Amino acid sequence: MRSTQEYFSSFFNGLGSLLKGMSITLREFFTPKTTEKYPENRAHLKMFDRFRGELIMLHNEKNEHHCVACGICEMNCPNDTIHVESEMITTEDGKKKKVLTRYMYDHGSCLYCQLCVRSCPHQAIAFVPTFEHAVFTREKLILQLNHEGSHLEENKAETTGKSN
Amino acid sequence: MFDFTVVTQWVDEMLRQLLPAPLVNATEFVLVGICLLVAYAVMALGLIYAERKVCAFFQCRLGPNRVGPYGMVQTVTDMIKMLIKEIIEINHVDRFLFNLAPYIVIIASLLAFSCIPFAKGLEIIDFNVGIFFLIAVSSIGIVGILLAGWASNNKFSLIGAMRSGAQMISYELSIGLSILTMVVLTGSMQLSTIVESQADGWFIFKGHIPAFIAFVIYLIAGTAETNRGPFDLPEAESELTAGYHTEYSGMHFGFFYVAEFVNMFIVAAVATTLFWGGWMPLHIPGWESFNAIMDYIPPILWFLGKSAVMVFIIMWFKWTFPRLRIDQLLTLEWKYLLPINLCNLFLMVFIVVFKLHF
Amino acid sequence: MSITLPQVVFLFLATVIVIFSILTVTTKRILRSATYLLFVLFATAGIYFELNYSFLGAVQLTVYAGGIIVLYVFSILLTSSDSQKVEKIKNSKFFAGILAAIGGAAICIFITMTHSFPVSHFVPGELNQKVIGTALMGTEKYQYLLPFELISVLLLACIIGGILIARKR
Repeated sequence: MRSTQEYFSSFFNGLGSLLKGMSITLREFFTPKTTEKYPENRAHLKMFDRFRGELIMLHNEKNEHHCVACGICEMNCPNDTIHVESEMITTEDGKKKKVLTRYMYDHGSCLYCQLCVRSCPHQAIAFVPTFEHAVFTREKLILQLNHEGSHLEENKAETTGKSN
Repeated sequence: MFDFTVVTQWVDEMLRQLLPAPLVNATEFVLVGICLLVAYAVMALGLIYAERKVCAFFQCRLGPNRVGPYGMVQTVTDMIKMLIKEIIEINHVDRFLFNLAPYIVIIASLLAFSCIPFAKGLEIIDFNVGIFFLIAVSSIGIVGILLAGWASNNKFSLIGAMRSGAQMISYELSIGLSILTMVVLTGSMQLSTIVESQADGWFIFKGHIPAFIAFVIYLIAGTAETNRGPFDLPEAESELTAGYHTEYSGMHFGFFYVAEFVNMFIVAAVATTLFWGGWMPLHIPGWESFNAIMDYIPPILWFLGKSAVMVFIIMWFKWTFPRLRIDQLLTLEWKYLLPINLCNLFLMVFIVVFKLHF
Repeated sequence: MSITLPQVVFLFLATVIVIFSILTVTTKRILRSATYLLFVLFATAGIYFELNYSFLGAVQLTVYAGGIIVLYVFSILLTSSDSQKVEKIKNSKFFAGILAAIGGAAICIFITMTHSFPVSHFVPGELNQKVIGTALMGTEKYQYLLPFELISVLLLACIIGGILIARKR
């Protein structure tokens, strides 16, 4: 008799669980959908802040950046995306110093892993959430991140920045 | 209520005036065939669009919304793509059986589709064994699936076809018994008589408890019969790489695909006819003005609306439950549905004999 | 003599039956043989529908085409050997078979032609379901189906009892 009891109890339990599942999906049917209709909603589309869309070098209003051409980002990049081109110049005091000439970033091979950003000792580079980068030829994806005529910001170079 | 036989008789008289006598019948056959095929194809397109949209809404996304307003033209473009796809010729198959199998499946589906009463007088076949004929032709589709699986010369197709065949013949029993329960209540197997005897109340209200149980069993067995919903193991991509229609491409695959959707509609339409009143409007005895308003809505809209609700329930099953294994499928039928069905049939006979129905 | 539409339909169905019956027994591939048999059964159901006996036509489709052919196909699929083709039979057996077939056909045709069949009362329109139902399930004289089915239930009980007694523990 126990198996008869099990038969009926399992039957009704199963039926109850099926109806509960159906009620959950029905509730889901009527919830408003969160799909973004992309090209039509460009006007008010806002990507969230931590989204990694593009690597830029931070410049302030006086066109100064923080990059000392140490090359730590280039060493940490798993995909050889970054190429730091630098030269040794002599300052007025006679000391030899390395300065950045061109910071080449190949957007086509970037993994967006942000190892470069996290390993930069002076927080010179950062990710911004812009994402519309489609171009027609691959050569257009090789970007130079330091702006024309920009140079290193002076007081930041003296103090040792927090490396994160 | 508008009687469609007015239209059919008008067409008949026109043809008899225009054409010599032997050609009239042939022309009528051709016209009926064209109407049937067009209705079948349009219904299939609508159902595929509905499936994609309903599936998307259950999964918290939108579904097709680019091609045409709300994506309504999407299925038409899919149909065009399917028509111009190449039908790949496979080397070591039994060519006659391989090419024949989709046609058997689609012919079985077409024959069942032509039995359904859409409105008063709007049906193609109206035998006095109507519902029995419908069961008979749905069992022909099974042969098509078995032949498709065998003729594909592919172990996985064969396994899928045998599983599908076993599943379909098991669940046909449940369908037949639940339909038999309603035939006991009606006293007739002719579909137009069944619908017209529901003028004063739909059968699911007249035959309260056993009719409701028969409806639930019919819906479950119907989704299993058409290889749909949580019972679609024979065509599961992860298990059997599309089962019996793996080797088919282009329009042959299109036939299997369309036949599956329209079979689902046929299950829903038969459920509507037997349980929910067919094309009869909702009449509540006593509220005459309400009944008069309900009569204004054309019967075919009633029928399509009720069938749409049934189709929605069948789609709801599919997108809620995980797939059943083949032994779980067969256990469900033979150990649960069949005993319940037999007891329900006995209960309905008891109710009809002692006139305990409304 | 003008040919009426029912005669055309009958001729078509009869041709289909004859052709596919011959193909069923002469083909070498066994599943094609089952498919040709399916077409023969479809045409037989068509003949029943033409005679306005739709109940029997539907029963033919359900039981024969949908049930027995499915059973045949299942058993072929489950027991088929690697070679799909039937073995070739010897010439002597082939001729003996042809002679037996011709002899059987001759006897049947002779009896059919010389028998005096009673005049058929063809009632146009479909046969009423109630008539079929009471003829099948009635308890009058010459109505044996209901006691036959009850006896088969008794037989089923005996079989189940025998299996239960004889099963291995």
